[in-house]
Amino acid sequence: MALIFLLASCRSSSKPLPYVNLSQRQALPAIAKTEVLPLRVAVAAIISPQGTVESYSELADYLAKKLGRPAQLIQRRTYAEINSLIAEGEVDIAFVCTGAYVDGQKRFGMELLAAPEIDGKHVYYSELIVALNNPATSMRDLRGAVFAFTDPMSYSGRVYPSYLVQQLDETPETFFNRSFFTYSHDKAILAVAEGVADGAAVDSLVLANSLQKNPELKEKIKVIYRSPPFGIPPVVVPPNMSARQKALLQEALLEMSSNPEGQRILANLGIDRFVTVSDSIYDTARAVVSSLGGIP
Amino acid sequence: MSVLNHTRPFEQKSPAWLTRLWALVGGVSVRTKILGIVLVLTTLLGLGATLQVRAVMERVFISELESRGRSVVSDLATRSTEPILLNDSFALYQLLSETVASHKDLLYAFVINGKGEVLAHTFGDEGFPSALLTLNAPKTPEESGHLLYESNEGRVHDLASPIFDGRAGVVRLGLSESRLNGAVDSVTGQMLFTTLVVGLIGIFAAILLTWLLTQPILELVHTTHRIGQGDLSVRATHWADDEVGALADAFNQMIIDLDNSQQAIAEKEIARGRLLKKLINAQEEERKRIARELHDGVGQSLTSLTVGMKVACQLDDQQAMQAKAEDMRQRAMETLQQVRLLSRQLRPSVLDDLGLNAALELYVTEFSKQYPDISVDLLCEQARPSPVIETALYRIVQEAMTNAARHSGAKTISAVLSRRDDKYLAIIEDDGHGFDVTVARRSGRSVGIYGMAERAEFLGGRLDIESSFKGTTVYLEVPL
Repeated sequence: MALIFLLASCRSSSKPLPYVNLSQRQALPAIAKTEVLPLRVAVAAIISPQGTVESYSELADYLAKKLGRPAQLIQRRTYAEINSLIAEGEVDIAFVCTGAYVDGQKRFGMELLAAPEIDGKHVYYSELIVALNNPATSMRDLRGAVFAFTDPMSYSGRVYPSYLVQQLDETPETFFNRSFFTYSHDKAILAVAEGVADGAAVDSLVLANSLQKNPELKEKIKVIYRSPPFGIPPVVVPPNMSARQKALLQEALLEMSSNPEGQRILANLGIDRFVTVSDSIYDTARAVVSSLGGIP
Repeated sequence: MSVLNHTRPFEQKSPAWLTRLWALVGGVSVRTKILGIVLVLTTLLGLGATLQVRAVMERVFISELESRGRSVVSDLATRSTEPILLNDSFALYQLLSETVASHKDLLYAFVINGKGEVLAHTFGDEGFPSALLTLNAPKTPEESGHLLYESNEGRVHDLASPIFDGRAGVVRLGLSESRLNGAVDSVTGQMLFTTLVVGLIGIFAAILLTWLLTQPILELVHTTHRIGQGDLSVRATHWADDEVGALADAFNQMIIDLDNSQQAIAEKEIARGRLLKKLINAQEEERKRIARELHDGVGQSLTSLTVGMKVACQLDDQQAMQAKAEDMRQRAMETLQQVRLLSRQLRPSVLDDLGLNAALELYVTEFSKQYPDISVDLLCEQARPSPVIETALYRIVQEAMTNAARHSGAKTISAVLSRRDDKYLAIIEDDGHGFDVTVARRSGRSVGIYGMAERAEFLGGRLDIESSFKGTTVYLEVPL
């Protein structure tokens, strides 16, 4: 036994190693709140969190700089979580989905600040995608399939495909063999591309962006149905926000297209500019939601 | 009692340490030596193999631990991206704690955000060892880190991996070497135990081997002591057909040879005694003969001469006196002749004066007169060896011829003497009926034969006798 200790002691160590007593523990300091209140920019998980950071951190930084405050990009897994943050005034500005806006506007008066303009339009579509070799040509052909929804509150990814199923006098639960939530559009696209799901309905803007970034996706998926146009996912602010604050934020957004830095960021996001839009552009979406009896 | 002279290796011209080592190694018994060799070899082999295996195991284990740690930390970094971006602290904590729970060597895992704040850790409620925060902090967030440190829980590999290219922070985890060290120590212990067992088996084997090796040797030693005490009937046991067996055989052969040679010495001793007795007798006989010769021959002649002179003195007649004187001169001449013969018989002066050849020729002439029925051929090379050799040769030829004449009934005797290189050879042959040489030598009757052999051996030579019913040959070889 003594020999073992002797042998154990001859484990070579060329230089003295630092020593840490792991049992000597302290309570961690609470994460300090910064003196200056940061500009809390919430982005609903239209695309994956990593994708959101890639796409929106520059925009958040830009807006914060314009307002002279540090930026804080806030993400949550679901649209509902973002909506509740907006309802409680926990965020200053949020990029939400059409479905979340329709729901939030109705529930707690979420306020429309601006909307992106792409090719002079303020609309987007819900596009039904399947694998390239899938013979399905419409939602009807996807009976008994595995379907990937994006977010429970997503208009293009959940509400509209549920509406299509409803038109077939079915519910998603009975119509599909199985369905699941991916909580972002790019993951739903991937789920179809990888064969995890037979079909999915996605945001046309996200799909266009994904196809542009990953052209090889065209070899894997195809669009078999495009919805009528709906109001584009808007930029919103919490209810009861001061008019001044709201005006500052709106101004910063709207004037982005008039300076090179703003233009570059907009170009990266695939947006021409931010414009003020009328709440009425979301009426068609509202009609679909109400025909489903609201967002579950 | 002879003094035992031990000669040892390594005594001269050797370094002092070698001498000391040999004194130590040589001072113990063979059993101890073999035991020592077995123990030293077993221990060296066991320890060597253990150290080797231990070193290899440590290296392999550590490298495996590190590579596993790297794969776990990069997997954690990937999987913690979403919970961090989504501010899902519980999911992050769950991810960390599940990872730590499923990897036995993982001591801890924690995530630090870009501001150096700990977002989640697995140290539990008791707080966080803040010393870790300053340790292994990557210089740039994008960089993976690996740091080795000692802790109260043994040596720890701290691995760091950036999350989402460092934008979401850094995940760190600690891998303890203690479980692997435990495995290494356990294997080391088992190997040492095996070494111990093998060592014990080795000791038993060595004891058996030593017994097998030393037992015959010890028995040989015992046999030697018995022989030293004069017991030539003992024999060493032939244990096995190996070197020791060969030694025992050689030893036994030596005992047999020793026995034979002792018997030969005893026989020689007896013969020597007989010769001595005979010599003394012969001397007495010779004295008697000389006394008789002197008394009967020379004494009588001198007496008659004295009487004759007395008579001559009383004679008046010149002629008668002359005749008497002439008679006395004749008588004196005869006496002189007798004295000369006596002298020659005692010691042939011709040997000293004219050499071996002349002496032998003279002897052969007289021998022929004595034994007229035997024809003698003498062939003698012209040479003059030393007087000692000449005397010996003369006496040996004399004895051989006398023996042949007296005992063999030979008709012809030939004696050839020649010199070859540095030897003098003599061959005396007869055509008699021969005799049994061995029996004759042992019987004690053959003092003459023994005398011849003694003379030859005295000169460092050799005498061989071959005899059959066709005759006898005596070979003599004497170095010059």
